[in-house]
Amino acid sequence: MRAGSREVAESCLDGITMEMVATYCDRLHSSKPDLAARRIEAIGFQVGQQLAERYTRDRPRFTDHLEVIKFICKDFWAEVFKKQIDNLKTNHRGVFVLQDTRFRWLTRISVDSPLTPSEANNTTLAAAQAGGKYLYFPCGLIRGALTNLGVPCAVSAEIAALPACSFIIRIKV
Amino acid sequence: MALAMAPRMRCLYIFNRNGMCLHYHVWLRSLMTLSPQQDQKLMFGMLFSLNSFTAKIDPVSSGKENNPPCSFYSFRTNTYKLHFMETASGIKIILLTDPRIGDLREALMHIYSNIYVEYVVKNPLYSPGQPFRCELFNMALDHYVKTLQ
Repeated sequence: MRAGSREVAESCLDGITMEMVATYCDRLHSSKPDLAARRIEAIGFQVGQQLAERYTRDRPRFTDHLEVIKFICKDFWAEVFKKQIDNLKTNHRGVFVLQDTRFRWLTRISVDSPLTPSEANNTTLAAAQAGGKYLYFPCGLIRGALTNLGVPCAVSAEIAALPACSFIIRIKV
Repeated sequence: MALAMAPRMRCLYIFNRNGMCLHYHVWLRSLMTLSPQQDQKLMFGMLFSLNSFTAKIDPVSSGKENNPPCSFYSFRTNTYKLHFMETASGIKIILLTDPRIGDLREALMHIYSNIYVEYVVKNPLYSPGQPFRCELFNMALDHYVKTLQ
Protein backbone atom coordinates (compact mmCIF):
# COMPACT_ATOMS: atom_id res chain seq x y z
CA MET A 1 0.00 0.00 0.00
CA ARG A 2 1.25 3.43 -0.84
CA ALA A 3 1.68 5.73 2.11
CA GLY A 4 -1.52 7.67 2.66
CA SER A 5 -3.74 5.21 0.79
CA ARG A 6 -6.39 3.23 2.59
CA GLU A 7 -8.30 0.09 1.73
CA VAL A 8 -11.88 -0.98 2.23
CA ALA A 9 -13.35 -4.47 2.18
CA GLU A 10 -14.72 -5.44 -1.19
CA SER A 11 -17.83 -6.94 0.36
CA CYS A 12 -18.71 -3.49 1.68
CA LEU A 13 -18.52 -2.00 -1.79
CA ASP A 14 -20.63 -4.82 -3.20
CA GLY A 15 -23.14 -4.40 -0.39
CA ILE A 16 -23.43 -0.64 -0.92
CA THR A 17 -23.97 -0.98 -4.66
CA MET A 18 -26.67 -3.60 -4.20
CA GLU A 19 -28.48 -1.55 -1.58
CA MET A 20 -28.22 1.66 -3.60
CA VAL A 21 -29.95 0.07 -6.56
CA ALA A 22 -32.50 -1.66 -4.34
CA THR A 23 -33.31 1.55 -2.45
CA TYR A 24 -33.67 3.81 -5.46
CA CYS A 25 -35.41 1.37 -7.76
CA ASP A 26 -37.64 -0.48 -5.33
CA ARG A 27 -38.25 1.77 -2.37
CA LEU A 28 -37.89 5.46 -3.20
CA HIS A 29 -39.02 5.64 -6.81
CA SER A 30 -40.65 2.32 -7.52
CA SER A 31 -43.22 3.88 -9.83
CA LYS A 32 -40.71 6.00 -11.75
CA PRO A 33 -37.82 3.84 -12.92
CA ASP A 34 -36.40 6.61 -15.10
CA LEU A 35 -36.11 8.95 -12.15
CA ALA A 36 -34.35 6.26 -10.12
CA ALA A 37 -31.99 5.67 -13.03
CA ARG A 38 -31.18 9.36 -13.30
CA ARG A 39 -30.57 9.66 -9.56
CA ILE A 40 -28.16 6.72 -9.48
CA GLU A 41 -26.42 8.00 -12.59
CA ALA A 42 -26.04 11.41 -10.95
CA ILE A 43 -24.33 9.83 -7.95
CA GLY A 44 -22.02 7.99 -10.34
CA PHE A 45 -21.32 11.27 -12.11
CA GLN A 46 -20.09 12.94 -8.93
CA VAL A 47 -17.96 9.95 -7.95
CA GLY A 48 -16.54 9.70 -11.47
CA GLN A 49 -15.47 13.34 -11.43
CA GLN A 50 -13.65 12.93 -8.14
CA LEU A 51 -12.04 9.64 -9.08
CA ALA A 52 -10.78 11.11 -12.33
CA GLU A 53 -9.04 13.87 -10.36
CA ARG A 54 -7.48 11.34 -8.07
CA TYR A 55 -6.26 8.91 -10.69
CA THR A 56 -4.79 11.52 -13.06
CA ARG A 57 -2.89 13.36 -10.37
CA ASP A 58 0.56 12.56 -11.69
CA ARG A 59 -0.18 12.42 -15.39
CA PRO A 60 0.37 15.13 -18.02
CA ARG A 61 -2.60 16.49 -19.94
CA PHE A 62 -4.28 14.30 -22.55
CA THR A 63 -3.68 15.13 -26.20
CA ASP A 64 -6.99 14.03 -27.72
CA HIS A 65 -10.27 12.24 -27.04
CA LEU A 66 -8.91 8.82 -27.92
CA GLU A 67 -6.22 9.14 -25.26
CA VAL A 68 -8.84 9.96 -22.65
CA ILE A 69 -10.98 6.98 -23.66
CA LYS A 70 -7.96 4.72 -23.54
CA PHE A 71 -7.16 6.01 -20.06
CA ILE A 72 -10.70 5.12 -19.00
CA CYS A 73 -10.39 1.64 -20.49
CA LYS A 74 -7.05 0.84 -18.95
CA ASP A 75 -6.10 2.74 -15.81
CA PHE A 76 -9.46 3.97 -14.58
CA TRP A 77 -11.25 0.66 -15.03
CA ALA A 78 -8.31 -1.22 -13.51
CA GLU A 79 -8.39 1.01 -10.44
CA VAL A 80 -12.12 0.72 -9.89
CA PHE A 81 -12.92 -2.81 -11.07
CA LYS A 82 -9.46 -4.46 -10.98
CA LYS A 83 -9.48 -5.35 -14.65
CA GLN A 84 -9.28 -3.52 -17.95
CA ILE A 85 -11.95 -3.16 -20.57
CA ASP A 86 -11.70 -6.11 -22.91
CA ASN A 87 -12.70 -4.55 -26.20
CA LEU A 88 -12.86 -1.00 -27.53
CA LYS A 89 -14.57 -0.13 -30.80
CA THR A 90 -15.07 3.23 -32.43
CA ASN A 91 -16.58 4.62 -35.56
CA HIS A 92 -14.15 7.53 -35.53
CA ARG A 93 -17.05 9.94 -35.45
CA GLY A 94 -17.40 10.32 -31.73
CA VAL A 95 -19.03 7.01 -30.80
CA PHE A 96 -17.07 4.50 -28.73
CA VAL A 97 -18.19 1.08 -27.53
CA LEU A 98 -16.47 -0.39 -24.47
CA GLN A 99 -17.03 -4.08 -23.92
CA ASP A 100 -16.40 -5.85 -20.66
CA THR A 101 -16.79 -9.61 -20.92
CA ARG A 102 -16.98 -10.16 -17.19
CA PHE A 103 -18.28 -7.07 -15.43
CA ARG A 104 -17.64 -7.38 -11.75
CA TRP A 105 -21.09 -6.44 -10.46
CA LEU A 106 -22.89 -8.71 -12.89
CA THR A 107 -20.99 -11.89 -12.08
CA ARG A 108 -23.15 -12.75 -9.10
CA ILE A 109 -26.54 -12.08 -10.62
CA SER A 110 -28.58 -15.15 -11.36
CA VAL A 111 -32.30 -15.80 -11.42
CA ASP A 112 -34.04 -18.84 -10.05
CA SER A 113 -33.69 -21.85 -12.27
CA PRO A 114 -36.98 -22.67 -13.98
CA LEU A 115 -39.17 -25.47 -12.69
CA THR A 116 -40.56 -26.30 -16.12
CA PRO A 117 -38.58 -26.44 -19.38
CA SER A 118 -40.90 -23.95 -21.03
CA GLU A 119 -39.71 -21.22 -18.68
CA ALA A 120 -36.06 -21.78 -19.61
CA ASN A 121 -36.12 -19.29 -22.47
CA ASN A 122 -37.18 -16.46 -20.23
CA THR A 123 -34.41 -16.77 -17.68
CA THR A 124 -31.65 -15.22 -19.77
CA LEU A 125 -33.94 -12.38 -20.75
CA ALA A 126 -35.07 -11.83 -17.17
CA ALA A 127 -31.49 -11.92 -15.93
CA ALA A 128 -30.41 -9.37 -18.56
CA GLN A 129 -33.22 -7.00 -17.63
CA ALA A 130 -32.51 -7.31 -13.93
CA GLY A 131 -28.84 -6.64 -14.49
CA GLY A 132 -29.52 -3.41 -16.37
CA LYS A 133 -30.19 -1.51 -13.16
CA TYR A 134 -26.67 -2.15 -11.94
CA LEU A 135 -25.18 -0.39 -14.92
CA TYR A 136 -26.55 3.08 -14.17
CA PHE A 137 -23.81 3.79 -11.67
CA PRO A 138 -20.91 2.78 -13.97
CA CYS A 139 -22.45 4.88 -16.75
CA GLY A 140 -22.38 7.84 -14.40
CA LEU A 141 -18.81 7.00 -13.43
CA ILE A 142 -17.67 7.07 -17.04
CA ARG A 143 -19.59 10.25 -17.81
CA GLY A 144 -18.23 12.01 -14.73
CA ALA A 145 -14.66 11.01 -15.43
CA LEU A 146 -14.87 12.03 -19.10
CA THR A 147 -16.56 15.33 -18.35
CA ASN A 148 -13.94 16.24 -15.79
CA LEU A 149 -11.19 15.42 -18.25
CA GLY A 150 -12.71 17.73 -20.84
CA VAL A 151 -14.79 15.36 -22.98
CA PRO A 152 -18.54 16.13 -22.72
CA CYS A 153 -20.48 13.02 -23.62
CA ALA A 154 -23.52 10.81 -23.07
CA VAL A 155 -23.10 7.24 -21.87
CA SER A 156 -25.52 4.32 -22.09
CA ALA A 157 -25.12 0.63 -21.39
CA GLU A 158 -26.62 -2.60 -22.57
CA ILE A 159 -26.34 -6.25 -21.61
CA ALA A 160 -26.17 -8.87 -24.32
CA ALA A 161 -25.54 -11.85 -22.05
CA LEU A 162 -24.54 -11.94 -18.41
CA PRO A 163 -21.88 -11.24 -17.25
CA ALA A 164 -20.76 -9.38 -20.38
CA CYS A 165 -21.92 -5.83 -20.95
CA SER A 166 -21.04 -2.90 -23.17
CA PHE A 167 -20.99 0.85 -22.59
CA ILE A 168 -21.65 3.22 -25.48
CA ILE A 169 -20.08 6.67 -25.28
CA ARG A 170 -21.33 9.42 -27.60
CA ILE A 171 -19.13 12.48 -27.55
CA LYS A 172 -20.94 15.78 -27.87
CA VAL A 173 -19.34 18.12 -30.34
CA MET B 1 -29.88 -35.22 -12.38
CA ALA B 2 -28.29 -38.45 -13.65
CA LEU B 3 -24.50 -38.75 -13.85
CA ALA B 4 -22.48 -41.28 -15.81
CA MET B 5 -21.08 -43.10 -12.78
CA ALA B 6 -22.94 -43.84 -9.55
CA PRO B 7 -22.97 -40.58 -7.63
CA ARG B 8 -22.05 -40.67 -3.98
CA MET B 9 -24.06 -37.57 -3.10
CA ARG B 10 -27.75 -38.13 -2.57
CA CYS B 11 -29.24 -34.77 -1.64
CA LEU B 12 -28.63 -31.47 0.10
CA TYR B 13 -30.81 -29.28 2.33
CA ILE B 14 -30.16 -25.73 3.42
CA PHE B 15 -32.23 -24.33 6.29
CA ASN B 16 -32.17 -20.93 7.90
CA ARG B 17 -32.49 -20.06 11.57
CA ASN B 18 -36.31 -20.18 11.55
CA GLY B 19 -36.61 -23.63 10.03
CA MET B 20 -37.47 -22.46 6.53
CA CYS B 21 -35.92 -24.66 3.89
CA LEU B 22 -34.04 -22.26 1.63
CA HIS B 23 -32.83 -24.84 -0.83
CA TYR B 24 -33.31 -28.54 -1.56
CA HIS B 25 -30.99 -30.11 -4.11
CA VAL B 26 -31.31 -33.76 -5.14
CA TRP B 27 -28.87 -35.87 -7.13
CA LEU B 28 -30.07 -39.41 -6.50
CA ARG B 29 -33.05 -40.23 -4.37
CA SER B 30 -35.15 -43.18 -5.38
CA LEU B 31 -37.32 -43.24 -2.26
CA MET B 32 -39.20 -40.34 -0.74
CA THR B 33 -41.75 -41.47 1.84
CA LEU B 34 -43.12 -38.05 2.80
CA SER B 35 -44.24 -35.00 0.89
CA PRO B 36 -41.48 -32.38 0.44
CA GLN B 37 -42.89 -30.05 3.12
CA GLN B 38 -43.23 -32.82 5.69
CA ASP B 39 -39.82 -34.16 4.76
CA GLN B 40 -38.22 -30.77 5.36
CA LYS B 41 -40.08 -30.15 8.62
CA LEU B 42 -39.06 -33.56 9.89
CA MET B 43 -35.44 -32.95 8.91
CA PHE B 44 -35.27 -29.61 10.69
CA GLY B 45 -37.04 -30.79 13.82
CA MET B 46 -34.95 -33.93 14.09
CA LEU B 47 -31.68 -32.03 13.76
CA PHE B 48 -32.75 -29.45 16.31
CA SER B 49 -33.50 -32.22 18.81
CA LEU B 50 -30.31 -34.11 17.91
CA ASN B 51 -28.22 -31.03 18.56
CA SER B 52 -29.67 -30.43 22.02
CA PHE B 53 -29.55 -34.16 22.81
CA THR B 54 -25.86 -34.47 21.96
CA ALA B 55 -25.07 -31.36 24.00
CA LYS B 56 -26.90 -32.61 27.09
CA ILE B 57 -25.51 -36.14 27.02
CA ASP B 58 -21.89 -35.04 26.57
CA PRO B 59 -19.73 -36.83 29.18
CA VAL B 60 -16.59 -34.74 28.64
CA SER B 61 -17.54 -31.08 28.52
CA SER B 62 -17.90 -29.64 32.02
CA GLY B 63 -20.47 -27.09 30.91
CA LYS B 64 -18.30 -24.11 31.85
CA GLU B 65 -17.89 -21.16 29.50
CA ASN B 66 -14.34 -21.82 28.25
CA ASN B 67 -15.13 -25.25 26.78
CA PRO B 68 -16.49 -25.19 23.24
CA PRO B 69 -20.06 -26.52 23.09
CA CYS B 70 -20.54 -30.03 21.78
CA SER B 71 -21.76 -30.05 18.18
CA PHE B 72 -22.77 -33.12 16.25
CA TYR B 73 -21.62 -33.32 12.64
CA SER B 74 -22.64 -36.62 11.08
CA PHE B 75 -24.41 -39.91 11.56
CA ARG B 76 -24.29 -43.05 9.48
CA THR B 77 -26.75 -45.84 8.76
CA ASN B 78 -26.34 -48.90 6.56
CA THR B 79 -27.78 -47.12 3.50
CA TYR B 80 -26.66 -43.47 3.85
CA LYS B 81 -24.55 -41.03 5.82
CA LEU B 82 -25.85 -37.62 6.92
CA HIS B 83 -23.45 -34.69 7.32
CA PHE B 84 -24.47 -31.55 9.18
CA MET B 85 -23.01 -28.12 9.65
CA GLU B 86 -24.40 -25.05 11.36
CA THR B 87 -22.93 -21.58 10.94
CA ALA B 88 -22.97 -18.67 13.35
CA SER B 89 -25.75 -17.02 11.35
CA GLY B 90 -28.04 -20.02 11.85
CA ILE B 91 -27.68 -21.47 8.35
CA LYS B 92 -27.79 -25.27 8.55
CA ILE B 93 -26.36 -27.33 5.70
CA ILE B 94 -27.30 -31.01 5.56
CA LEU B 95 -25.79 -33.39 3.04
CA LEU B 96 -26.87 -37.01 2.56
CA THR B 97 -24.30 -39.24 0.92
CA ASP B 98 -23.16 -42.78 0.29
CA PRO B 99 -22.29 -44.47 3.62
CA ARG B 100 -18.68 -45.22 2.69
CA ILE B 101 -17.66 -41.57 2.29
CA GLY B 102 -15.24 -39.99 4.78
CA ASP B 103 -15.46 -36.79 6.80
CA LEU B 104 -16.95 -33.93 4.84
CA ARG B 105 -16.69 -31.08 7.33
CA GLU B 106 -14.31 -29.07 5.14
CA ALA B 107 -16.49 -29.74 2.12
CA LEU B 108 -19.52 -28.37 3.93
CA MET B 109 -17.53 -25.30 4.98
CA HIS B 110 -16.44 -24.83 1.39
CA ILE B 111 -20.04 -25.13 0.19
CA TYR B 112 -21.07 -22.47 2.68
CA SER B 113 -18.30 -19.92 2.20
CA ASN B 114 -17.42 -20.33 -1.46
CA ILE B 115 -20.73 -21.27 -3.01
CA TYR B 116 -23.60 -20.14 -0.80
CA VAL B 117 -22.07 -16.81 0.27
CA GLU B 118 -20.63 -16.05 -3.17
CA TYR B 119 -23.61 -16.87 -5.34
CA VAL B 120 -26.62 -16.44 -3.08
CA VAL B 121 -25.84 -13.91 -0.37
CA LYS B 122 -23.99 -11.66 -2.81
CA ASN B 123 -26.66 -12.03 -5.47
CA PRO B 124 -28.40 -8.65 -5.73
CA LEU B 125 -31.63 -10.33 -6.83
CA TYR B 126 -31.92 -12.53 -3.74
CA SER B 127 -33.95 -11.31 -0.77
CA PRO B 128 -32.58 -12.88 2.41
CA GLY B 129 -34.84 -15.35 4.19
CA GLN B 130 -36.56 -16.61 1.07
CA PRO B 131 -36.13 -19.95 -0.70
CA PHE B 132 -33.89 -19.73 -3.72
CA ARG B 133 -33.04 -21.76 -6.81
CA CYS B 134 -30.28 -19.56 -8.26
CA GLU B 135 -28.76 -20.99 -11.41
CA LEU B 136 -25.22 -19.91 -10.61
CA PHE B 137 -25.49 -21.57 -7.20
CA ASN B 138 -26.79 -24.81 -8.75
CA MET B 139 -24.04 -24.88 -11.35
CA ALA B 140 -21.28 -24.16 -8.85
CA LEU B 141 -22.66 -26.77 -6.44
CA ASP B 142 -22.88 -29.49 -9.12
CA HIS B 143 -19.38 -28.66 -10.28
CA TYR B 144 -17.96 -28.82 -6.76
CA VAL B 145 -19.77 -32.01 -5.86
CA LYS B 146 -18.34 -33.73 -8.96
CA THR B 147 -14.84 -33.07 -7.61
CA LEU B 148 -15.77 -34.76 -4.35
CA GLN B 149 -16.84 -38.10 -5.82
